[in-house]
Parts: sequence; structure tokens; C-alpha cells
Amino acid sequence: MTWFQAMLLAVLQGVSELFPISSLGHTVLVPSLLHWNIDRRDPTFLAFVVALHLGTAIALIVFYRADWVRIVRAVLASIVRGELSRDPDERVGWLLIVGTIPVALLGVFFEKPVRSLFGSTALVSAFLIVNAFVMFAGEALRRRSERDGALALPAMTWADGAKVGLAQGAALFPGISRSGASIVAGLLLRLTHDDAARYSFLLATPVIFAASVLEIPQLFAPTAHAVLAQAAVGGVLAAICAYASVAFLTRWFHANDLRPFGWYCLIFGVVCLILTFTKVIS
Amino acid sequence: MKPLAIGLAVIFAVLGVLYLLGAVQLFVSHPGGRHLSHFVLFEVLAALSLVWLRFQSKKPSTPSMR
Repeated sequence: MTWFQAMLLAVLQGVSELFPISSLGHTVLVPSLLHWNIDRRDPTFLAFVVALHLGTAIALIVFYRADWVRIVRAVLASIVRGELSRDPDERVGWLLIVGTIPVALLGVFFEKPVRSLFGSTALVSAFLIVNAFVMFAGEALRRRSERDGALALPAMTWADGAKVGLAQGAALFPGISRSGASIVAGLLLRLTHDDAARYSFLLATPVIFAASVLEIPQLFAPTAHAVLAQAAVGGVLAAICAYASVAFLTRWFHANDLRPFGWYCLIFGVVCLILTFTKVIS
Repeated sequence: MKPLAIGLAVIFAVLGVLYLLGAVQLFVSHPGGRHLSHFVLFEVLAALSLVWLRFQSKKPSTPSMR
């Protein structure tokens, strides 16, 4: 892997992890489009990817640091007290825990088999198109239910929290966006775009962070020494891009919706599918 | 519900250790090895079961668990 390839992948990961366009799908399709010969199962590449994910998770923690401090304090206080209160931060904290359980179970048990089965460019392109229609459908159903009024994030039930976590599990399929699926699930539960995006990003943080921390030993394996410098710089670059992305998206969702991302996924997915069937990419 | 919380905590804790030791190989990507992520997941679930047990003991003043 050259430095140019490493840095482009870092930017791609930092941006596409949080934009609802599937980071995994892009890290499969873009190297294929550029005819890069990268072995995604190579230990050195896996170590590099760990650094990118760690950078993304750190960017999310830094961006939402004030929220996390309040949430962690409130959850710890409820454990010490031994009872739940009506504190919104505490409620959001427990909703995040409830939402993390299904995605953690799905990730630990099914991530690798699903990704190895559905990792071809044709399937990833198809899933990217599915991702687009999920966002279009989510927005259409959201508009239909708007007359019922919006639901505040702390007013979600435990079952709602778990449903959003379960939706996030759809991102195991390369091409389906983690944030897209969880924002759509939040919208269907009548959250505003703001709250759905905030819950989605907060929910993604422990999952990405834990997954990358558990893989940190790969960074110090002898095989990873060759990419350690690229991994370090790539991790920082991914963190900067992820921070800028979440800052942009939180502003975007004040007044906009998911449809532009849906159109992007639809067009990119169709183009990649055509290029795959015409054997331009493989 | 207290016995359920205790039972779940014990089952999760034991399952986690079994995955760590490599004694359980269900739903693993690399059969034959030790599985740290499965261990961490089950120990976290065991800890959450104990938190649930703690909440059970003061349930009368707990807000609705919808």
C-alpha cells in the first residue's frame, strides 16, 4: 500500500463512516474503481484499518465529549442509587446501553461470516442501492407520520432503543450504512432528524471504539510494523475527517434530510453495478 | 425477576470464560482459538445483569420500564 493509497483510504473512512453512505461499501468499491491491488484480509491492511476505526471513534468521543460526561455521570449515579430517575441524560445513557446490546451481539457473532459472504463488488453495489431505498422509504414514512408530532429522544421506550440498535446491525452487510439505518429507524420512531442523528452517532461510538480497542494488538503484531507509520498518520487523518463530518452532519440535519445521500448511494451503486457487469471493475 | 437476573449473570459470566479458554466455539470466525471479543461481550452482559438485579431491589420507586 502506497502512502497515497493509505491517506485516501483514511479520508474515505473518516468521511464515509459517519455520512449515511456506508464506509465499508466505499472501502470495497473505491479501491476496485481505482484498480488497486489491496488484499483486505492481509494482516498489515487489517492493522491499518484498526487505526482508522480508532481515529473515527476518538473523533466521535471528542465531538460529543460534553454529552458523554453528562451521560456517564448520570448512568453511574443511577447504578450507585440502585434506581432509575427521570433525568434525561440518564435515560439517554440507558437507551444507548439497550441499543448497543443487539448490535454488539450481531457484530461479535455474525460480522466476519456476513462480510466474507457479501463482499463482492456486485453485492456491495446492490446493497448500496438498497441503502438508498431504505433512506427514501424512511423519509417518506417519516413525512406520513409527521402529523402525530415528534418524539423527544429521552421519551423513547427501551424497546425503541433496542430497535434502533437492531437496525444498526444491518450495517454488517457491506453497502448498508450504519448511520443511515439507525437514523431511518429513529425517524420511523418519530424522532426529529436532529435527535435521530445524535442518537445514531452516540450509539455508533461504543461499538466502533470497542471493536477497534479489541483489535489494537494487531497494530503491535510483527506483521504490522511495515504499516505502523501509515496507520498512525492515517488514524489522525481519519479522526480529523470524522470530526469534520459529524460537525457538518449535525448542522445538516437541523434543516435537511437523508434524501441527497440516498440519491448519491443510488447513482454510485448503479454506476458500480454497471461497471461490475461490464467487467470494468471486479 | 431477581432469580432471572442472577441466573443470567452466572450464565453470561461462565459463557464468557468458556469462550476465552476456547472451550466453546459456537458462532466464531476462527474455530480453535480463544475469543477475546466474545469474552468481553459476555462479561459486559453479566455485569449488566447484576445492574438489573440492583435495580430490581429498589423497584417500587423506579419509573416505568416501558
